[in-house]
Amino acid sequence: MGQGMKIGLDEYADVDSALHRWEPRSKLVGLMTLIFAFSFVQDLRLLPAMLAVTAVLYTASRMPLSFLLTRLRAPGFFLLIVALLLPFLSGSTVVARIGPLALRQEGCLALLVIVVKFVSILTTGLVLFGTAPFLTTIKAMRALGLPSILADMTLFSYRYLYEVGDDLQVMQTAMGLCGFRAHCPGGRTLGTLASLAGSLLVRSYEQSERVYKAMMLRGYGRAPRLRHEFQARLRDVIALGGVLVVAAGFVAVEISLRGLGG
Amino acid sequence: MHIPDGVLPVAVSAAGYATTGAATWYSLRKISQKENPQENIPKASLLTAAFFVASWIHVPVPPTSVHLVLNGLLGAVLGYYSFPAILIGLFFQAVMLQHGGLTTLGVNATMMGAPALLAHFVFRLRNVGGKESRVRTGVFGFLAGAGGLGIAVLIFSILLTTFIPTHLDAAAERASICVLALAHAPLMVLEGIFTTLVVLFLRRVKPELLDNGAGDENRTR
Amino acid sequence: MESQMQRPALSISRLSFSYPDKPDVLRDVRLEIMPGERIGLIGPNGAGKTTLFLTICGVLKPDAGEITLFGEPMKHRDFRPEIGMVFQNSDDQLFCPSVRDDVAFGPQNLGFPKEEVAARATEALSTTGVLALADRAPHHLSGGEKRMVSIAGVLAMRPRLVIYDEPNANLDIRSRRRLIRFLQASEETLLIASHDLELILEVCNRVILMDEGRIVTDGNPRRLMSDVALMEAHGLEKPHSLVPHTEPHHGKAGGN
Repeated sequence: MGQGMKIGLDEYADVDSALHRWEPRSKLVGLMTLIFAFSFVQDLRLLPAMLAVTAVLYTASRMPLSFLLTRLRAPGFFLLIVALLLPFLSGSTVVARIGPLALRQEGCLALLVIVVKFVSILTTGLVLFGTAPFLTTIKAMRALGLPSILADMTLFSYRYLYEVGDDLQVMQTAMGLCGFRAHCPGGRTLGTLASLAGSLLVRSYEQSERVYKAMMLRGYGRAPRLRHEFQARLRDVIALGGVLVVAAGFVAVEISLRGLGG
Repeated sequence: MHIPDGVLPVAVSAAGYATTGAATWYSLRKISQKENPQENIPKASLLTAAFFVASWIHVPVPPTSVHLVLNGLLGAVLGYYSFPAILIGLFFQAVMLQHGGLTTLGVNATMMGAPALLAHFVFRLRNVGGKESRVRTGVFGFLAGAGGLGIAVLIFSILLTTFIPTHLDAAAERASICVLALAHAPLMVLEGIFTTLVVLFLRRVKPELLDNGAGDENRTR
Repeated sequence: MESQMQRPALSISRLSFSYPDKPDVLRDVRLEIMPGERIGLIGPNGAGKTTLFLTICGVLKPDAGEITLFGEPMKHRDFRPEIGMVFQNSDDQLFCPSVRDDVAFGPQNLGFPKEEVAARATEALSTTGVLALADRAPHHLSGGEKRMVSIAGVLAMRPRLVIYDEPNANLDIRSRRRLIRFLQASEETLLIASHDLELILEVCNRVILMDEGRIVTDGNPRRLMSDVALMEAHGLEKPHSLVPHTEPHHGKAGGN
């Protein structure tokens, strides 16, 4: 946490681009639908189109490529496993042999589909959540019908995420200064780490009691919270319509390709 | 242990969202039925943040170290708030850290959240049939922690073997589920022990967190 | 001497409170504050100051005693926007992810329409001098900035009596000076608990000394705080500026 860990996506939230200017609710509905449409695709022939659409979106968002590349690295581990298993286990058409292992065509192609889908969805997600402050996105979700308990919990958790993260860092530093080294496995280490986690919980709990008092003093729960301030302009709706058409296109083509036995 | 985007068919993602929607609706209903649900929202929110952060703690497991999932502990401490908390935590992870997925948010939430709710019920059993004691709290803490992770692992294994196109036959699929599940057995034990230690720490330092943390029905005021 | 009869802003009688694990935190407290007064509350840690504040605000339920706020009785869990409290730790009070949202929180809960809420938030932010921070996240603010934002959040509800619990905690010198000037310019009735005795001297026109749950004495700040025996008996010290100087160290003519 602190300087090392960057949580939140607000680094490029104040860049100016068409995506940044798109009204948050329409953007949320449009891009999430597109993401699900991508998820529906299985046919290889649609993969280039998927990548093309994704590339257009990301370019339009004017966020730097480095940002995307850094974010792509994170979930690598799981995909690595899948990448190592699928080509060797899935399918019957053997394409090549590497020692005792047989590289199978179906497996490789299945892997290709997964990887392209994954990259497209992650990129689109980055465009969706990175082109507005995270707080705005949560408010848009609330405006779209997220239950108020969930919305409040999300907002307050988000607010205190950094504080708790800083608390953890401070405590870990203090522990380190007392000679604690977390590399050695064993009962004592586990016990210390458990105390660390426990302390984090207790401090958060105690702070929450004080926060609740502060909330009560400012009237929390008395009046229903205000309706949102979002307003969709014509161009936002048109953009939404456009994206929905693209998403529908992918789904329709996929279905017809499946129907053709492709 | 989060399932990323691109791997599961849409039908499964949609089903995941459906089950998560139902479980969230159920949890929220139970929450609003309690007296003064507002009082617990700050508690649940801050504890959600705390759990999110706590899961970054590296526990050394040679030759490497792991992050704990802690869904069992979460269930034990937060009760009905644990499902929304896990949903929110996963949402943060998916959006901020690209850990997990957006289409698979529903699936992941049910996979980790349902066991958390179960862990809550299991942990509540520590008060049944006898006086509350350190040993009982510890034992049920272990069960909640190990069980919470165990059920999540089970769901995870079943989902992966069923839906990743490996063209294995039924017997091989069953075998791979078993292998995956057993491979996680040491982690289950680790989570169980860790949960026990944390729960005993809380019992000593701040027992209200366990008894009426955020959602226990036995609270009196 | 005021000839017109003014209603007290706050009137407390026989107030007592115990925590489950700490008895007699407040013992039979009796206090009256007139509108426009600026009261400094001093005393050692554990004297019961914060507990007193929380009881006055209706957050804690007293075991005995009555509280009357601007003529109306104050019960546990009553919501009275005429009284506001600035907490010792700003993070406990800045719970929204953006400054503007946080300051708007109070007016929103008062049920005002959108425009009124926005107007009050902007007004409060301007008064406290932090309008430029309106779209920032509280996490990224400095201690002094957080303090002024939390004050803005309280002022947005237009209270008539404002309680400050250790407003100086964690402030650097510049922020402290800014706070003192702000308090000196405030028009509300103030009740300020602080270990910073110099601040109390600069801002308050009446001082109350509290110890072990009781009000020990009540009076003119300079006179009360000059009484060395009294101060030291209650874990305090005579403030530097009241100590006669045997060696001139404030510079040439005029000094301090």
